[in-house]
Amino acid sequence: MAVSSRLDQNPQIVERTKTLAFQQNRGRNLLLTLGAGLVFILLLWFFTGLGSAKLTQALALFAIWGVATVSLNLINGTLGILSLGHHGFMLIGGYTTALLILPDDARQRILDSGRSAMTETTVGLSISNLFNAIGLGGLTGDDTLWLRFLLALFAGGLMAALAGLIVGIPSLRLRGDYLAIVTFGFGEIIRLSASTRIFAPLTNGALGFAGVPSDFGKSVWWTFGILAFTLFIISKLKYSSYGRAMESIREDEIASEAMGVNLAYHKVLGFVISAFFAGVAGGLWVSWLGNARLDNFLFTLTFFFLVAISAGGTGSITGVLLGTALVIFVRQYGDPLEETYAISRWLEFIGIILIIAGAAFLLYRSFNRSGKRLPDWSVWLFTANLVILLLGSPVFPAINLGKIGLYIFLIPFLVLPFLPNVGDKSKGVGWIVYALLGIGVITLLIGGISPGAGWLTGTFRGFGMRGIALAILLIVIMIFRPAGIVGRHEFSWGWLFRERLDQPTDEERKQDAWLSNPELNRAGGAAAVDTEEDA
Amino acid sequence: MAVSSVSRAKRKVNWLPWLLLLGIAVIIIGRIIYLYSLDPRFNTAFFLRAFIESVKLGSLYALIALGYTMVYGIIRLINFAHGEVFMVGAFMTYFFFTFTPYPWFISAIYAAIIAYGSMRVLEFFRGSMRDPLVLAAGGVIFIGLTVLVSSITFPFWLALICSMIFTGVLGIVIDRVAYFPLRTAPRNSLLITAIAVSFLLQNLGLLVFTNRQTPFRPDTPLIQPLQLTVGNGQVFSNWLLLAIPLITAILVVVLTLFVNRTRLGKAMRASAQDAETAQMMGVSVNKVIATTFLLGSMLAAAGGAMWGLNFGSLNQPAILGILPGIKAFSAAVIGGIGSLPGAVIGAIIIGFLENFTTAIFPKTATFQGVTEFKDTFAFILLIIVLLVRPSGIVGEDLSEKV
Repeated sequence: MAVSSRLDQNPQIVERTKTLAFQQNRGRNLLLTLGAGLVFILLLWFFTGLGSAKLTQALALFAIWGVATVSLNLINGTLGILSLGHHGFMLIGGYTTALLILPDDARQRILDSGRSAMTETTVGLSISNLFNAIGLGGLTGDDTLWLRFLLALFAGGLMAALAGLIVGIPSLRLRGDYLAIVTFGFGEIIRLSASTRIFAPLTNGALGFAGVPSDFGKSVWWTFGILAFTLFIISKLKYSSYGRAMESIREDEIASEAMGVNLAYHKVLGFVISAFFAGVAGGLWVSWLGNARLDNFLFTLTFFFLVAISAGGTGSITGVLLGTALVIFVRQYGDPLEETYAISRWLEFIGIILIIAGAAFLLYRSFNRSGKRLPDWSVWLFTANLVILLLGSPVFPAINLGKIGLYIFLIPFLVLPFLPNVGDKSKGVGWIVYALLGIGVITLLIGGISPGAGWLTGTFRGFGMRGIALAILLIVIMIFRPAGIVGRHEFSWGWLFRERLDQPTDEERKQDAWLSNPELNRAGGAAAVDTEEDA
Repeated sequence: MAVSSVSRAKRKVNWLPWLLLLGIAVIIIGRIIYLYSLDPRFNTAFFLRAFIESVKLGSLYALIALGYTMVYGIIRLINFAHGEVFMVGAFMTYFFFTFTPYPWFISAIYAAIIAYGSMRVLEFFRGSMRDPLVLAAGGVIFIGLTVLVSSITFPFWLALICSMIFTGVLGIVIDRVAYFPLRTAPRNSLLITAIAVSFLLQNLGLLVFTNRQTPFRPDTPLIQPLQLTVGNGQVFSNWLLLAIPLITAILVVVLTLFVNRTRLGKAMRASAQDAETAQMMGVSVNKVIATTFLLGSMLAAAGGAMWGLNFGSLNQPAILGILPGIKAFSAAVIGGIGSLPGAVIGAIIIGFLENFTTAIFPKTATFQGVTEFKDTFAFILLIIVLLVRPSGIVGEDLSEKV
């Protein structure tokens, strides 16, 4: 404390802190950020204007899951605790929101149905009734639904935050994987007990709520607005002293406690804030689905978030959004994978995947080693081929390559192992690669040439293919790039323009020269003063 | 930034969880005494049956929990995929006794996998894959099984053994492909990978096995009815009531003998104590880990097959393994993770909690809650135990060193 106040008084130091490198282009960066936001809004406007319901839904879902992943990232990435109970928090927020904004006709249906577990009192729990009770009856119309929805979201967030507080308390005693299991257990306890007799009057048991207004969850503007709000809060938190304390806990708990970080306070704070936004995401998710049912809050949800975080970059907000986009793409646009195709087609597809995997393995090894490398164009060739093949693959036939075209585009992958800089370097694992490529070619040929033979005539449904794709993606990323695609780095304009922010500017060099020059600076600079006083 | 004001001079005893545990125990014991003395329906036979049923359920959990505890003991990984290994074991047994005889090419693939697994098992005793006995056994098993699987319908016990070997090999493969590259990675990466493997196996199960509930009724004498007269009451059940605890006991004894009496078992214990030092002393730690996965997965497969027998049907693959798996994990932690007897003790405790409480609190309106909360007991007990005594009932202290 004392040091910094002395630094503040030194005019030279004040001058220096004003022009630190990362603060140089603040105005420009702000303008660029605003501009990018504007471009993004225009793009959203354009996409929603296309009128594709699927695209709009995917965009809205991206924003909703973005809220959830960014909040989960606060625990998993910034605080460094593996939390597996996010679906539980979302369930609490989602059910609270659904109960508070359910329209009257849906409530009447619940009361009328004989199997419902809800009572008169719990059915009456709504924001409209609250407004009526406190004399704001004018706000219960359809045109003010948005106000009630926002209030319900906030209430759902608060309920989830309460649960986060309860889950956060064991985190004071436990560490690492034990804590992960406890959070998982809490998530499951929440889900399993939601249908029991005690909570059924509030959750309507296994039936759940049907007819939740989906004007907000399916609207790109509301969801992206709430995502922007979440991003603002979470990034402010990340760069505040709280966020830095959390990061220090992630790096080393014992050391950060020794440095005076209050472990209990920061961990519980992280859990509560994260759970709050998870509750908000749950409310939006319920609205996106149009109903609240327990099947929609399985552990699978947390698994998807985990894939998004790990794939994008644990601890990086931009990376997490990137990962979320990836997961949403597979979930919303991967449905061709789960349809029924002829077995010969599946064999062709498996053959292509095996060949690509073998070639990718070779390329990875070649680039991961020092010394002789493949030329850069091979990577470009590989990528272009990959895109063309996947677009023209038997399961995703976006472009019609035909059989001959397919085989022609596979040739580069098969030639790869025989290039001089690859073949000699992959001796240790050569047989894996050759086995992959060989089995791939055989499968492809069986599928492509003999569609009429015996058991190849049947069809096969790719049930669960999307889950398999995401799980394999996660395993591969964990093995080859454990920090995720972007690691812990955040996007910044300086990075985009290749500014070297770690290099001192000319002005800083001048100041350094002044500080270290005894002729000009008799006192020997701030550092010298400090050491004298300490001694 | 707030400064921590916690003083660590004296460890405070956290009395609340102990009180909770004591309260639960008092409620259960009081209820038993109340029922036994006042209600004629709850006689000795009833309690005997409830007791054995609880041991039965507990022994099913124990078979899964042993795999968790062995793997955790050696590589400090919560093998999230173990519940799914259990699922694969159950479904493989089902496929073996239901759909055999298979076409020859599928038989050959199965036979190849099982022959390889048997060779790996024999290798532990003979020392090398190239040993003539190992090679001969592999060849005989391969040819014999190909002929067998493509010609006869498997009885339950043969299906169980084949499924155990198949699942054991699956365990080795999972370790080799997913966990081996991450031996030196941070623990969280390993745990996330385990979750991913679990999700992968769930979806592969949906893809390969089935996507709906499956009846599991093999033609075996174990499901014949059994009637016992005890005191003035009678126990109606089937032979599984006795067979499942018995088979579990045999498997656990064999496992304990293996761990305590063989060279490889000694290597396992050494690796569990300190893998690095064990490696320096000439123990092949990777081989030990493979053995661990093999044994754990084989036990889980046995558990899966008996789970199917016990409940008469298998849930769909995506959810079959989750709850038993995570409850068995809770059992392993409650007993003290890393310890074999601890896993069995914890599993039987959970079996009792689930079965005994539902038996003594019948489904009346007053006690509905107890029955419905059955699935959460394991988690609640897990959390209490972790707060009171993270090392479990018989476990050693696992606190982190600075």
